[in-house]
Amino acid sequence: MYKYSDTDKKIIASRVKQFENQVNRRLEGKLTEEEFKPLRLMNGLYLQLHAYMLRVAIPYGELSSKQLRKIAFIADKYDRGYGHFTTRQNIQFNWPKLLDIPEILHELSLVDMHAIQTSGNCIRNISSDHLAGLTLNEIEDPRPWCEIIRKWSTFHPEFSFLPRKFKIAVIGCTKDRAAMMVHDIGLRIIKRKNQVGFEIFVGGGQGRTPIIGKKIRDFLPKKDILNYLEAILTTYNQEGRRDNIYKARIKILVKELGIEKFRSLVEENFSKLSNKELEIDDKSIKEIFGFFRLPPLKPNTNQMPFKKNQEYQYWINQNVIPHKIQGYSIVQISLKAPKKPPGDATSNQMRALAEISDKFSFSEIRVTHEQNLVLPHVSNKELFNLWNQLKIQNLATPNLGLITDTICCPGMDYCALATARSIPISQKISSHFNNYLKQEEIGNLKIKISGCINACGHHHVGNIGILGLDRKGQEFYQITLGGSAKEDAAIGEIVGPSFSKNDLIDAIEKILNTYKKHKINKSDDFLSVFRRIGIKEFKKDLYDNFTKKA
Amino acid sequence: MIILQKKHEHKNHYKQIIEQDFLEENIRNGSILSISQWREAKHIVQEQKIDVAVEFSSNACSLSDKDEISKAAMVQINFETFKDGRPFTFAKMLRKKHNFKGELRATGHVLPDQFIFLIRCGFDSVEIKEEDRDIWLELLEIDEGLYYQP
Repeated sequence: MYKYSDTDKKIIASRVKQFENQVNRRLEGKLTEEEFKPLRLMNGLYLQLHAYMLRVAIPYGELSSKQLRKIAFIADKYDRGYGHFTTRQNIQFNWPKLLDIPEILHELSLVDMHAIQTSGNCIRNISSDHLAGLTLNEIEDPRPWCEIIRKWSTFHPEFSFLPRKFKIAVIGCTKDRAAMMVHDIGLRIIKRKNQVGFEIFVGGGQGRTPIIGKKIRDFLPKKDILNYLEAILTTYNQEGRRDNIYKARIKILVKELGIEKFRSLVEENFSKLSNKELEIDDKSIKEIFGFFRLPPLKPNTNQMPFKKNQEYQYWINQNVIPHKIQGYSIVQISLKAPKKPPGDATSNQMRALAEISDKFSFSEIRVTHEQNLVLPHVSNKELFNLWNQLKIQNLATPNLGLITDTICCPGMDYCALATARSIPISQKISSHFNNYLKQEEIGNLKIKISGCINACGHHHVGNIGILGLDRKGQEFYQITLGGSAKEDAAIGEIVGPSFSKNDLIDAIEKILNTYKKHKINKSDDFLSVFRRIGIKEFKKDLYDNFTKKA
Repeated sequence: MIILQKKHEHKNHYKQIIEQDFLEENIRNGSILSISQWREAKHIVQEQKIDVAVEFSSNACSLSDKDEISKAAMVQINFETFKDGRPFTFAKMLRKKHNFKGELRATGHVLPDQFIFLIRCGFDSVEIKEEDRDIWLELLEIDEGLYYQP
């Protein structure tokens, strides 16, 4: 894991001081609410439906047990004993008080954490593959690059007041587990003629106008990455629309100019404005990579233990995957236990996990963009032992990648923008499909739920996407099919008129029946079937004889 | 209003806005011109060797090479709102692309929290209310030297 230098520590400490100053100025009336808002947002502080919400950065989703303990402490002392992991690998507290925020930020700074740029019209937390550095088919670990970009983007003097927020994701292999194609900039590490560099995508995004990123560069040598990012951001900061908040993201600029024209502007800025000092030399690359070395794992032939315990075997089957070092496993922890809000963890769970990670996974925990957690380096022979300990904490739900492993935004239970609730929908799904064998038979299926068109629950890229809408004071849910956030990224298609909360499960069952009818074999998953038969079949089965449609 | 040049207060030599009708007659040291006035009158500035400022609004920060902005003594960018980040990029362009070496000043709706950003993007000075001086200096002190970019 990355270790803070003295400079990092000083920067975080000075930010705490600065925010304290801003809060005081706000309270003294020297800052108007309009002026305070962007400043507090840049420190991750939102005003929600019922209270402030503080979003704490977890750079590229990597946490130490010490940091997790601090998060648990904050949840208990300043909030209501829990936190919510987000689709950008961060964590949110839902009930902090404004006056406590400087103190919370101070507590965070003691474990090298902060809430900088987790919100606001600036470059947000850099997100990445939660399996970075753990799998065999990786070209290069993306985390060191995330760290390089994190530093560059933190308090960037030029790009702190952009037209709109700006999200960057970096991945290191052909598999995309970071929804890279729906980011403002997506970077994929590739190899060409024995040279490692970046393939660059731009203008992806979700929200009201979902767009898959367009390729702007086939290959960029590593050393130039910051200069190229600057060239893109320079172009966006100058040309991006500021007249309409809904048209201010870079995806709209790329769409309006066309990728060719946008590329030529970027390339011109890249060639004219590149700064020698931003080039990254081999020595500093090596230095950063040094922080991300694997812990001392010794290859061995230990197998995953077999036990005559069905629940355990389900969990092994569904949540555990092999580590690149033989004899070790990657354990994925579902935060989608039945009846629990997706992505939430209690302070007790966090403390238990911190201890578990100390014992079994070199004190390291990862957060996934699908709102789950990962213990990255677990010895095979410890798996049963580990499972027992996770089970006590309700952290051993065997549903990774299955229908009840939903992404879900906070919805109208918390969010001021929401038009419908989303957590209860996720809970309905998890109760209805609770049985593991039933889920396993359905196979890989991603349901993603948003409580409004801003799409924080990623519904556009769900295999089944659910969007909550308000119809004359009633909650209705629109269904999209065929979306994907992976390397085969696609935006889902609306299947037809929306459903009331009570009809929704029935509608999902019908959709699943159509899928089952056309499924050829076990590995023929929902998305493959959808791509083969198209939306028409689903539409027909769903709406013919459906009496209660809206 | 006072002018802060980094940590020091300095005198404002640029005050006079020129009426379009009498541009050529009225132009002198300390004049503040719009970009269209500059385009019209830059030959006079060169001939008479006078120092003038060219003013831009944050929502109209654009220039071409033909404008020869490097011949102006000062460029002043008026922030319509502090949320408009275009001047930060424009400052970089002025310095790196248009080779502008004169004084670059921010006016209008700017926050003291942005002082360090302004300076690091190439601004030299900022026009603020006199009573705000302490807070501008205090925040600059907190932020100074603590950043990652070159």
